[in-house]
Amino acid sequence: MLVKDCMTRHPIMISPETPAVKAQNLMIENKVRHLPVVGDGKRIVGLITRDTLMVPPSDLGSLNVWEISRILSDIKAKDVMVKDKALITIDPNATLESAAELMIEKKVGCLPVLEDQVVVGIITEVDMLAKLSELLGGGAEGVRATIRVPNIVGEYAKIFSAVSAHDWGIYASGGAVTPKDPDHWDIVIKVRRASKDELLKVLQDIEGQEVIDIRTIP
Amino acid sequence: MSDLVKAPPVLKLEDVAVAYKVRGGEIEAVQNVSFEINRGETHGIVGESGCGKSTVAWAIVNFLGANGYVKRGSIKFQGQELVGVTGEELRRLRGDQIAMVYQDPMQALNPSMRLGDQMSEVLTVHRGMDQDEAEERCIEMLERVYMPDAANVMKRYPHQISGGQQQRVVIATALLNNPALLIMDEPTTALDVTVEAAVLDLIAELRRDFDTAIMYITHNLGVVARVSTRVGVMYAGEMVERGTVEQIYARPQHPYTQGLLRCVPKLGSDKASSLLYPIRGRVPPPNNRPHGCIYAPRCDYVEDRCRNEPPKLRKLPNGIWVRCHFAEEINPDEWQPSEDIAPPEVGVADLTSEPILVVDDLKKYYEVQGTELKDVLGLSEKRYVKAVENASFKIPRGTTLGVVGESGCGKSTLIKTLIGLEETTDGDAKFLGFDITDRITEREKSLIQELQMVFQNPDSTMNPSYTVGQQISRPMRLFGTVPKDKLREEVIRLLNSMRLGENYYDRLPRQLSGGEKQRVGIARALASHPDLVLCDEPVSALDVSVQAAILNLLLEIQQEFDTTLVFIAHDLSVVRFFSDQVAVMYLGQVMEIGPAEAIYTPPYHPYSEALLSAVPIPDPTAKQKHIRLEGNVPSAIDPPSGCRFHTRCPRRSLLPDDGQICVTDTPPWREAGDGHRIYCHLPLETLRSFDPVISQEGS
Repeated sequence: MLVKDCMTRHPIMISPETPAVKAQNLMIENKVRHLPVVGDGKRIVGLITRDTLMVPPSDLGSLNVWEISRILSDIKAKDVMVKDKALITIDPNATLESAAELMIEKKVGCLPVLEDQVVVGIITEVDMLAKLSELLGGGAEGVRATIRVPNIVGEYAKIFSAVSAHDWGIYASGGAVTPKDPDHWDIVIKVRRASKDELLKVLQDIEGQEVIDIRTIP
Repeated sequence: MSDLVKAPPVLKLEDVAVAYKVRGGEIEAVQNVSFEINRGETHGIVGESGCGKSTVAWAIVNFLGANGYVKRGSIKFQGQELVGVTGEELRRLRGDQIAMVYQDPMQALNPSMRLGDQMSEVLTVHRGMDQDEAEERCIEMLERVYMPDAANVMKRYPHQISGGQQQRVVIATALLNNPALLIMDEPTTALDVTVEAAVLDLIAELRRDFDTAIMYITHNLGVVARVSTRVGVMYAGEMVERGTVEQIYARPQHPYTQGLLRCVPKLGSDKASSLLYPIRGRVPPPNNRPHGCIYAPRCDYVEDRCRNEPPKLRKLPNGIWVRCHFAEEINPDEWQPSEDIAPPEVGVADLTSEPILVVDDLKKYYEVQGTELKDVLGLSEKRYVKAVENASFKIPRGTTLGVVGESGCGKSTLIKTLIGLEETTDGDAKFLGFDITDRITEREKSLIQELQMVFQNPDSTMNPSYTVGQQISRPMRLFGTVPKDKLREEVIRLLNSMRLGENYYDRLPRQLSGGEKQRVGIARALASHPDLVLCDEPVSALDVSVQAAILNLLLEIQQEFDTTLVFIAHDLSVVRFFSDQVAVMYLGQVMEIGPAEAIYTPPYHPYSEALLSAVPIPDPTAKQKHIRLEGNVPSAIDPPSGCRFHTRCPRRSLLPDDGQICVTDTPPWREAGDGHRIYCHLPLETLRSFDPVISQEGS
């Protein structure tokens, strides 16, 4: 699960000379929020987001209404794009979590994916959320259980062996430290071919673990 | 990218019309074409030649030439309008994001530049990469398309590699810039089936890995079924039907699509599925299209409304888009062929009757002139291309022998030797008891009269300044088969039996379509009432509907005149329905010969098995075994020892010692009964145990 597996390849790109008005239209028509700005050979020069196209209200006060359209039509992508140091990018072979951390740290909604300065894709928060949803099995049918386990080695194995002993399939799983309780982990599993009650019974029999939520996904 | 995230289509065409300005007005070559291609999807465009498939592709990249332009509609690439965009921006898009692969790889490559230089140019010029790095990238990409010995290929010139490899180079070059859209215009049409199969596998794989949207243009319905996710059918410049591959093949809604599917042999499990029903008439020229539905003149279901009101492309409840007024009411299962296109009844030929042609151990070697002084003086040992080696078969009167194999396997040489265009090196060939191993110049006139030939390309075998009548009557005059005053009458009789009619008598070849020219070619071959007609790929260059008509015509003629045919083809599905016996050739050697039915079911020769698994089948539900031959056909100058196929044989490992015996010994002929003979070391029981190559899903 690397950036290259989750990114959108061949994003819509524009040239630095594209008028900002056209960039705005492109984003609305195609329902995208980010446009990499590229020069020859798809080399990155900047990034346009919805934010960059916003004009601060303080600037508007001084504008003559009749001049607005003229000024707007003169603005090019290169005038408003995010560039140089402010541009945060990532390598296609980076891990998904490192991309997520980078986006959280810099508070950006998207990372252009570059290979030798050439744009090969783009990864956005939506791609991340889509992957999160897939990691947890999406909307596929089955039984979803959340189990609180002590933070020691071997707890996962207990769950997995108990479930697989019944020939049920685990098709999604994920775990994270219990909020405000570093001694425990919450593990989510999704199981196929078992009913809610059957699964609950098996999980309750595991020593030292506690089922805190179980439900059937229709 | 996740399936959850919906992305806009990479390419979207809306009501596009393309017009060419010509003297006295303009011609709309393409009208009302709309479709869209999503990322990572292959969208097939099928139709006969002259239906505007390539014009659509050219319109996307604005290669229409000085007199062509997009008259109406919009073409959006990645949301950006392409119509009206000129100069710099278009150049940038074409270079960076749209790539094209054409039919003939030799025309896309510069013959005077090394392959490495041509390929790296894309990167050095377009991306400003330095030479070393660019070369490294090129080698990587060549390896990606499974080019053997990639680093060495970079140093070669285009003519030094085979056609399949050339096409790989073109595809690799197209992918170097990681385009969002790849337009492929008949990329495999010029290739052998085995190479084609490998290229198609490659395309499917690349589409997945690079998430490239592919627009795939072809006339071959089998190829579309194999590579596409969705398909659009074009007819006379309009898109008449559009849907997913499964929908279109299982339940075609437009009468034209139904007709097309009936024109192609299916290579299914039973022979009835390979009966062909041609579509009558031909594609109307763009300046003379009917007013109502463009397909009305050829349609079986035509009604008054069709002639007056052009139908709109509309969406049916099942999701197929179709341009037909009566799509819901037409049930293709109830279709009955009308009288003029019904296929002739094919009786089971009697393979035991008196053979008309007996060939025994026929050999044809070509001497190779070396380049060293020694060779020129004739002092060194002579080297030969062994084009045909030990061919033996018998053809009973009134039957057909089909000869199949990849290009360069000696099919054409075999029949050229039989007809006398080449001298036989060794062996026996007896036609009606007469020896025919000598050259045609030394033969009796009466013998020449009995042996005639139909060529692959009717254009290059007809004198462009002679009328059809003159061409057909020439053999009659030369052989004196028809009295002079009856010539015209006889020619017209022949023309009629070719369904051409008297008005063709005074036409020149340039006034005929490809299918009509081939009919004239066949008429000329039959003019002297020959006993044996040798056909060298007579339908390969023709559209499917014409191909079906010509094949049916040949069958009819065979029955009427009791003619014996030798029929060369590289398309195994065509041969199946047409032949009584089939011979499979590889590198000049007949590998398997037997009754047609027997060739298509186990026991197979491993080579026949591989050929069958490579044939694209126009049915997305058909399951085919996946056997791909590695490497190229070896050189016939120095053929592999033992079994000639051993270098590529996928079944060799079934023999002890990893098939050492195949390298050292020539294989024996295995008799599988009914005259079915297989040239292989593997015992018959093993050959019998192979699964059939083609099976239907669920059965």
